[in-house]
Amino acid sequence: MHKIVSLWRTTTVRFTAIFILIFIVFSVALLTYMAVRSSISIQQVQTREVVWEIRQLQNLNQRRGLRALAITVQRLASRPGPGVYYLGTPQGEMIAGNLDSIPSDILANEGRYSLRYTPQDAFGRAGVERDEAAPRARDSHAIVQSVILEGGLRLVVGRDVVERRDFTAIILGTMAVGLGGIIVLSAIAGVLMARHVLARIDTITATSNEIMSGNLSERVPVTRHNDEFDQLAINLNDMLDRIEKLMAGLKEVTDNVAHDLKTPLSRMRNRAEAALREGKKPQDHKKALEATIAESDQLISTFNALLLIARVEAGAVADSLQDVDVSEVVADVCELYGPVVEDAGAVLEAYITADIKVHANRELLSQALVNLLENAIKYATEQNKGSADDAKTGGKIIVSVKRKDDRIYIEVADNGPGIPDSDRQRVLERFVRLEKSRTEQGSGLGLSLVSAVVRLHKGTFRIEDADPGVRAIMVLPAKP
Amino acid sequence: MKILLIEDDSEAALYLIQALDEAGHVAHHASDGETGYAMASGMEYDVLIVDRMLPRRDGLSIVESLRAEDNQTPVLILSALGEVEDRVTGLRSGGDDYLTKPYAFSELLARIEVLARRSNPAEAATSHKVGDLTLDRLSREVTRNGEKILLQPREFRLLEYLMKHSGQVVTRTMLLENVWDYHFDPQTNVIDVHMSRLRAKIDRGHKTQLLQTVRGAGYMIRA
Repeated sequence: MHKIVSLWRTTTVRFTAIFILIFIVFSVALLTYMAVRSSISIQQVQTREVVWEIRQLQNLNQRRGLRALAITVQRLASRPGPGVYYLGTPQGEMIAGNLDSIPSDILANEGRYSLRYTPQDAFGRAGVERDEAAPRARDSHAIVQSVILEGGLRLVVGRDVVERRDFTAIILGTMAVGLGGIIVLSAIAGVLMARHVLARIDTITATSNEIMSGNLSERVPVTRHNDEFDQLAINLNDMLDRIEKLMAGLKEVTDNVAHDLKTPLSRMRNRAEAALREGKKPQDHKKALEATIAESDQLISTFNALLLIARVEAGAVADSLQDVDVSEVVADVCELYGPVVEDAGAVLEAYITADIKVHANRELLSQALVNLLENAIKYATEQNKGSADDAKTGGKIIVSVKRKDDRIYIEVADNGPGIPDSDRQRVLERFVRLEKSRTEQGSGLGLSLVSAVVRLHKGTFRIEDADPGVRAIMVLPAKP
Repeated sequence: MKILLIEDDSEAALYLIQALDEAGHVAHHASDGETGYAMASGMEYDVLIVDRMLPRRDGLSIVESLRAEDNQTPVLILSALGEVEDRVTGLRSGGDDYLTKPYAFSELLARIEVLARRSNPAEAATSHKVGDLTLDRLSREVTRNGEKILLQPREFRLLEYLMKHSGQVVTRTMLLENVWDYHFDPQTNVIDVHMSRLRAKIDRGHKTQLLQTVRGAGYMIRA
């Protein structure tokens, strides 16, 4: 019972019911029209036949006389079919025909009449019971034409209407049977369809319930039909992938915030406590406060970096993408950092193909590039730290922008010590998620931000061995 | 300088007012949007410091209303929202500068001092002069004591910004924003490197050092 109620609630069943109703109304109207129309048409044909027969019989009477007329009428009357004939004297005596008696008023005046009669048995009696209250089952009904011939002879020719009525009845019967069939079949089809649709939707509902109860890895099954349900399932799954990614990102950010912010916070707290301890001089306090401010600045920048990464990964800045000249963006950053590289004792070489356009956020792209450059400076100058005599030479950073087909390659390479093979894999693994090396100065989130920014621009980011050194490559889709 | 601070965090406001007072300014405080708007439109101030999120009326709508009334008092918007697009909406509503919380007081002070000066006609000047250093914005020529100094385009813009605000402290962040149009803070001391290069070009071999480093705040150019 519950099943039936729930079936009725489905849109499919309701739609089916509505369609069946519309179909029934239309079919009934059509068949009724057909029945009425054909009935009228049969009547017209019969009327024409009667008129024609009468004219022929009149001619016959004129040309050949009563005898020939009587024989012809008798022959016509004995033919099987709906024909009704009567030929009689002015006094009311029947000469020929298949009607035994006819009410005298029909014979008295010419014209069309509706006549109820009892069909004649093969040779038995027949009677006319016109206007009787309850006609017997075998009663027949005819439309007749009465004429008065030359010499006062009475001729009545007509057609039985029962045959016409039977035809209408057949059409109406067909209609009833047909409609019954239609209703039953379409009801079955509707229920089957609804159950099929319901089954598909039920799986989606079940999956979403599963997901709502916390199992985010669940997915809506996709069949091979590739119909609209599969399209819906595919879209839902894509949405779920995105949600899952965001949730994972959020969790990672939370974990990292906990680590990155708690450590310096507890350092700050310890320092403040130490400064408060007795036996401290005013300049110790000042130093502790300065260290606290420096520490909180570092905290703020870490916090900003984390927030920015989270926002970029969540796609919150996706609307801010505009057509940007990457060549110019890279050139600007190189110009900003050129003197820094020089001061650090390294060389910055830039190979920039002009006029390369990308749909991008200039600010974020610049920041990603700055992060890569700052890393490169750190590595390129690290190489020479050991040798005191030759301290500030040899470091080299190469920045390049080029377009290959529909991809744009932005590379930052240094000739530092590079990353040992064993570690490179680790570094790559790390920035797939968030970079975990936080022993160095800085927020340690540089590569994570680069990776997030590149993903925002629908590109890819990788680190290669530049032999010696490291080459960081951002690959972005070019603007067509 | 007469300053109105519209900020709902009373502790932060108290600290800020004290610090502004120590810096020699008169600061009034409003703790919600409606009061702040009433005070800003009823009295003459040199600078308004408006927090973006305020009870009863938000900061941006205050600024919009003031601008609609043709009140051109310079406004510094304070906000915890620091993304580029937040900054853009802040400035579009009529704010003159945008500072993200948390901030160093020296940064705030430098910015409001520059803002208060911004309403002066110096903005439109075609040339700047500090001591014997002159910068011509039209011919893009820089001379010191009659001697021509060759500058890179970016160095020219850097010097132009400093000279436009001569006698005032400009912070590294302000320079990065106004000269390079970047709104993030790099880890390395990029600005210091550029400043030392500029200093070498304009001050080397001269008795008076025009370009000065203001410890814990930024730079200033002064005769």
